[in-house]
Amino acid sequence: MKSLSLKNLAKTYFDAYKGEHVTAIRDVSLEVPAGEFVSIVGPSGCGKSTILNMVAGFIPHSGGEILVGGTPVKGPGPDRGVVFQSFALFPWKTVLDNVGFGPKMRGVPKAERDAIAREYLALAGLSHAADRYPNELSGGMQQRVGVVRALANEPDVLLMDEPFASVDAQTRMTLQDELSRIWEERRPTVVFITHDVPEAVFLANRVVVLSKGKVLAEVEVPISRPRVWDRLVADDEFKDLSNQVLALVRSA
Amino acid sequence: MERTSRISAALIFIAPLAVLVALWAVVVPVFGVRPQIFPSVPAVGRAGLDSILDGSLLRHVAASVSRVAIGTVLAVLVAVPLGILMGVSRGVSAFLTPLMRFFSVLAGIAWIPIATLWFGYGFGAIVFVIFNAVFFVVAYNTLLGVSTIPMTLRHAAASLGAGRQAMLTDVLLPGALPNIVTGIRTGLGFAWRGLIAAEMIATDVGLGYMLFVARDFYQTEVIVLGMIVIGTLWLLIDRLILVPLERATIERWGLVSA
Amino acid sequence: MNALLPLWSFVVRTSVKWPILQTLAPFVPVVALWWAVAAWGPFPPAFFPSPADVVAKFVSLMEKGILPEYLGDSVARLAIGAAVGIGLGVPLGLWIGLNKSAHRALWPVLLFFQAIGDIAWLPILIIWFGFGLTTMTFVIVYTVLFPVILNTVLGVRSVRIELHRAAQSLGASPARIVGEVVVPGALPNIMTGLRNGLGYGWRALIAAEMIVGTSGIGFLMFDARRAGSVTEIVLGMIVLGILWYIVDAWILAPIEQATGRRWGLVTQ
Repeated sequence: MKSLSLKNLAKTYFDAYKGEHVTAIRDVSLEVPAGEFVSIVGPSGCGKSTILNMVAGFIPHSGGEILVGGTPVKGPGPDRGVVFQSFALFPWKTVLDNVGFGPKMRGVPKAERDAIAREYLALAGLSHAADRYPNELSGGMQQRVGVVRALANEPDVLLMDEPFASVDAQTRMTLQDELSRIWEERRPTVVFITHDVPEAVFLANRVVVLSKGKVLAEVEVPISRPRVWDRLVADDEFKDLSNQVLALVRSA
Repeated sequence: MERTSRISAALIFIAPLAVLVALWAVVVPVFGVRPQIFPSVPAVGRAGLDSILDGSLLRHVAASVSRVAIGTVLAVLVAVPLGILMGVSRGVSAFLTPLMRFFSVLAGIAWIPIATLWFGYGFGAIVFVIFNAVFFVVAYNTLLGVSTIPMTLRHAAASLGAGRQAMLTDVLLPGALPNIVTGIRTGLGFAWRGLIAAEMIATDVGLGYMLFVARDFYQTEVIVLGMIVIGTLWLLIDRLILVPLERATIERWGLVSA
Repeated sequence: MNALLPLWSFVVRTSVKWPILQTLAPFVPVVALWWAVAAWGPFPPAFFPSPADVVAKFVSLMEKGILPEYLGDSVARLAIGAAVGIGLGVPLGLWIGLNKSAHRALWPVLLFFQAIGDIAWLPILIIWFGFGLTTMTFVIVYTVLFPVILNTVLGVRSVRIELHRAAQSLGASPARIVGEVVVPGALPNIMTGLRNGLGYGWRALIAAEMIVGTSGIGFLMFDARRAGSVTEIVLGMIVLGILWYIVDAWILAPIEQATGRRWGLVTQ
């Protein structure tokens, strides 16, 4: 696990149709120490996905610095695992091969990477689905595979882009419980993008509220772990924090 | 279990065709259709037997099939890598799409006159026609296939550590495969028709030639025999090779071809 | 670098305003290359004409009225094929798609006759009807018909049973169900069938015009082949390509997409 730090990050791009420069991210600085879970929330269009795409290396940043364990980011790489809102599983690979993809890229032999994949699948209770194709799984199952695939590559930082936004409410809570449990077991460094405030608070050590390409506020979440919905749903501290963050987002 | 159901499915498929043949066998003698207009079933059977025994049918079929096979294999081998390379960059693929579309629209038969002029009558011209019927359609579909792969899949692969080569073999090629297969199926359809047309015009062996020469002598039984052979061959190629291939990729992966 | 941005912006804006420029742009380097090869390449002009030769030929054939006449003939034949193909194919497809026993009895026969392929019919058609219009019309109708029938059947069978039931429970008679539910539901497939059918159909037409024709673009090209005039062949190919590009990209594909996308239906 490594730390992630964003220093005066900025993004402007040229809108050729309008013929003008557009600022998506003005000036964002953020420190995520190794092993911390940070959620970024904000209204749509606030630039939260842009930040994640820059950290992942999918799009270049136009100002400032992105450092993973002190090393500047240049393009996508296996040191940063990404979980996508649309799952982005390879439809032509079985669940096992999807999870084993990262190790395969590192040159791990077939038998060994299958063993790694099976271990991680077991972590998410997916052992029975190893030989299925993504298309044959429900949305919730597919995103479990998406999370496990990123984890199996043992990244320094895990980046999650609204990963549970396209599954039903019931499944979403189960997935949040599971992600919380897995995080407590493995303690990865996580940046979690969402527009769902209770989700952000439930999962994170710290919630960052973003507005118009700038950090509006940071809220610490000292709620004790393990966290499960059964307990937190009636927890006053959780409710207060959620309302506090919600008020910030509304004001944004 | 599986086997018996497949056999019964085949029987159900063949039964209506058998009825059609029976109808034909009755209609021709009852209405006294002249053999110059339409042959009787026994006449076609005899023509079939004769041409099998003297080896001419085999020679024509072998000529046609080998031309199609050579032209198609060559075309696919060149078109798929080219299509993928063209599709890698969004800008390049957007620029080239109208071009590929124009040529795939022109593919096949329209090239017969110029092909015969460049290569003379015979093997070269015919293989050229088949090659370009398949080539442009497959290249265009590959390009289309690569450009329909969601950007997030490429991002996912990159963030899992895929390099340039793994991106090609593990993402772009399989992602474009359904389109490639559809392209091959369409292209082969054009090529098959182009073959028959080209053989009528530009050669002295092959199924198209067999039909066209028979016409000179009003040998309708040879023409009908040739049509049945052409239909059966295409049905076999399409149903036993192309359709299962398309199913295996598109249905199992849940991909919808564009 | 920054000086280029306004230029880039201009390019993007014009191409959004005039999408046809985007379509035409890639042909500029191709034509330039063609010109260069014709001018400096190793091929004699009789073998490999330059764009200027082709344009000159285009002008002279237009002036003589040959090209408009032949083009008119080809397009008219294609239009007849399309009209008859739809007129016969859609009702037949609806019947076969809605009637289980008709489907079982006719599906293999349809597949087989489609597999024989238009062009293989030419020799026997020439015996029956001679060299001429009847033969060509038969071939093109035949070619368009089968894809339309096959795709209509697929479309009819892809209409969900709930839609039949919904219409029934809202009081629709069987005839109304066909008109209000089955035909619209099958429409995207019907359009796909028509597009495929015409794609095969115009190729068949070219072949038929080459082999039996007395007019039409295919005849023009093959006649030029006999006279060894490459320029006319290339001109014919370009005319064919443009003609079909217009029909396919500007008429058929948009209709197909309009029905399929608008209604959120996935076309087969």
